Amino acid sequence: MHEALEPFPIKSVNAPLFSIRSLDYTYPDQSPALTNINLDIAAGERIALVGQNGSGKTTLIKQLCGLLQPIGGEVMYKREPLRGDHLERSRLEIGLLFQDPDDQLFCHTLLDDAAFGPRQKGVCRQDAEAAALNALNLVSLSDMAYKGPHNLSFGQKKRAALAGLLAMNPDVLLLDEPTANLDPRQEQLFMDLLGRYQGTLICISHDLIFLYELCNRAVVLDKGHLQHDYTIKELVSQRNELKAHGLDFSFRLIVTAPDSQESCSPEPVGGSQHHNGKASTITAADSTITAADDTPLVDLKDYNYRYPDGTQALGGIDLSITAGERISIVGENGAGKTTLLSCLLGLRQGSGLFCLEGKQVTGRDRKKLWQKMGMVFQDCADQLFCSSVEEEVRFGLIQLGCSKAEINRRVEQALAMVHLEGFKKRVPLHMSGGERKRLALASVLAMRPRLLILDEPTAGLDPRGEALLLEIIKDLDVTLLLVSHDMFFVRELTTRTLVMHQGKILEDLPVHSFMNDTRLGNLNGLSYTCREQSSSAIRMLQHEHEHSHLHNHLHTHQHRHGEVEHDHFHEHLHEHNHRFIHHHPGDQQQHDHIPSRYHDHDHPGHHSEEHDHH
Amino acid sequence: MSDVTSITMPLWQLPVIILLPIASVAALMALLRRISLIQSAPEEERDWSVPPFDDGAGTSLLHTWDVRCKIVTILIHSFVVASLIHLKPAICAVALSLTILAISRVSLVKVVMRLVAITGFISMFLIIMPFSAPIHHGDTVLIFGNMGWASFNLRGVLLAVTIAAKAVAITLLMEPLLSTAPLPVTLYGLSRLGVPEMVSQMVLLSYRYLHVFRHEASRMSSGMKVRGFRKQSDMATLHAVANFLGMLFVRSFERTERVFDAMRARGYRGSFPDPVELSLRGRDLILTGVWLTAATLLILFDRILL
Repeated sequence: MHEALEPFPIKSVNAPLFSIRSLDYTYPDQSPALTNINLDIAAGERIALVGQNGSGKTTLIKQLCGLLQPIGGEVMYKREPLRGDHLERSRLEIGLLFQDPDDQLFCHTLLDDAAFGPRQKGVCRQDAEAAALNALNLVSLSDMAYKGPHNLSFGQKKRAALAGLLAMNPDVLLLDEPTANLDPRQEQLFMDLLGRYQGTLICISHDLIFLYELCNRAVVLDKGHLQHDYTIKELVSQRNELKAHGLDFSFRLIVTAPDSQESCSPEPVGGSQHHNGKASTITAADSTITAADDTPLVDLKDYNYRYPDGTQALGGIDLSITAGERISIVGENGAGKTTLLSCLLGLRQGSGLFCLEGKQVTGRDRKKLWQKMGMVFQDCADQLFCSSVEEEVRFGLIQLGCSKAEINRRVEQALAMVHLEGFKKRVPLHMSGGERKRLALASVLAMRPRLLILDEPTAGLDPRGEALLLEIIKDLDVTLLLVSHDMFFVRELTTRTLVMHQGKILEDLPVHSFMNDTRLGNLNGLSYTCREQSSSAIRMLQHEHEHSHLHNHLHTHQHRHGEVEHDHFHEHLHEHNHRFIHHHPGDQQQHDHIPSRYHDHDHPGHHSEEHDHH
Repeated sequence: MSDVTSITMPLWQLPVIILLPIASVAALMALLRRISLIQSAPEEERDWSVPPFDDGAGTSLLHTWDVRCKIVTILIHSFVVASLIHLKPAICAVALSLTILAISRVSLVKVVMRLVAITGFISMFLIIMPFSAPIHHGDTVLIFGNMGWASFNLRGVLLAVTIAAKAVAITLLMEPLLSTAPLPVTLYGLSRLGVPEMVSQMVLLSYRYLHVFRHEASRMSSGMKVRGFRKQSDMATLHAVANFLGMLFVRSFERTERVFDAMRARGYRGSFPDPVELSLRGRDLILTGVWLTAATLLILFDRILL
């Protein structure tokens, strides 16, 4: 956190809808969550609430809807404190979208769920159902009104949860990571819906590109303190501020030159390309994997899988992975990506040829696949169950039958690889999202898998966590299979992309070809390029900003000399802002400002200054 | 016990008598399970924009019956069936249940799955009771070879079959009870009958989140498997399973808090909105009367005529 702890000036807004004064809140364990928060929010504002994991964002929006009560200070809504009857009434006007939609869909069917809010408002059943159907229609789920929430995909659940709020016609929408783990199509749907929303909107997200499109004001929290309150454009354009708060996502905006893309492109699909042109001997941790011949590490031929109820999940999968390759799998939610991973890990058994290192995987071999393949799950809570970090990393090594000395050595190495040195005695449950993700990675890396599988590694991470994870994964010399909707990670980490759709691999092509092929995005409903426009705008903002400095200008403008007002060319020295479009070669390095001499600027008190008359 | 009829049979017939029924029941159940799986596979996605037929929008007598009458009647009928002593009335009860199944037009696949679920329970009775039933006057027992200590009492078989018939008769009624109205409506009916509303809400939420917890447990189990965990009978397994259960409990507890928060945030103040408006009609009472009369006839048949 940078030094900026003077009392934060409250941005004045006309007739604030929310007024927060000196808000303090501590968690039950007495650790401070929010300290001296002062904030006014006007009706109709669209606010991005940003900050690192653990900065107090979720706690703040829970205060805004009265789920938590302040320890000190006051939260006012419509000029009344959020307490008692006013709180009960206000909750019906303030909609809170939770991060996990399963938390929010507690009724038997989508219709019941969407109608729950209106019924609580006292609307009769018929009208409530009409409002619910209308809201479901808005989120394109009216054709599933009588379906149980547990039968929906994640994206559908997320939209259904939003429908439950929209049916209440709320004045305020509080959104906690609305687009986390969504595929681009679902994300775009959310963007369209929220873009049309007319009320006050307060959105928490680590995705600043999404926030840039959605919001116009940004509030930055850091360790429970309100650090900044400015426009979203100001937020994204100030890299140093972003960096100070762990929010610098600018690494995502770097445009790789076409030459360098070509240089990391693989050989024709199925070839024995190795990451960054390294030699054919690659290492996972310090183990040596030698791709001595052309035998693929994994080879699937006409592989099929049906769920127990008979539904075809995978059909005719042909996939060859050579040791050292870095492959990404993309596709919409439900395309069969996770099922394919389950088959590779031996958790599911399909039909067809499955060879590992040239040897066909039989029933008995399937149970030993874990020794050669490791996977980091999308939700790392699914694979962290031990009471300490050390125990977590040791778990797999004990199953492998390693000696104690070997286990200790590998634990140290794995934790060092993911920058978790000194965390051995920590409880995984109490660690931040980014630390837990790295711990999950360490627990897999310690086992030195031949194939490392990462399922949505960036889910729920803040930009600093993402950048660190990217750096760690880039440094790994391992055969990689990455499943992600995050096109930046796909581009940065892999050289070959498999496009999956309805249980089939539609395309298998070099990553740069995939990136340049908009047809593929449209083919399976994924618009991977939709964020490019915002990214370009932010890139411009980050390089177009004001510098204030003293300089001379020979120029003309209206000014006064006592009673006389006139304009003429003259030269004088004064300080004013210049807006420049330029490149920053490095944070602290010198850089040039392209001359931009013709611009408007103020001359306060200029009539009393001396200047030449030409 | 001179009036006990003992029939001595060769020892080799013992496994035939025991294993053959077990194998037959197992094969039948496997077949039913297979059929139910195939039948339940979605050939094409049903239209979820309209209320499903077996979730309360059906037109059968049971679908349109007042849920309170339905619950009371079926529960009373189930108690009556459970109290039957003789096989013939129990078989009549099965026939009555089958008739109700036909009238209610519920999913046969679900009925079969319910029957499969009680197979183990029934099989245990069919195997154990013939050997464990005390020998009374007039009983007929089969003795295999020299194994006089393991006599096969035919009265035990009769008793087991009677219990099985009663269990099947009651199980067959569960689908008409639970699938002819949405669960919230059934639970609402229960609360209108005096069951505390909090209990109904807890059942409703448990049903909703059972799937979520099952998925979480399944994902965590996969997370352990991919790191080599295999269950063994040792302390390490015990330790890992304890960690697993502890973590599942923590996650479930945290989710419970979040769900409650989500409910409060949408205006929950202790009660769910009524899912329907219940009104008692004459035909509901007539149907209740007819059914309870049938139940009374069953008990009369059992206790007086036999």
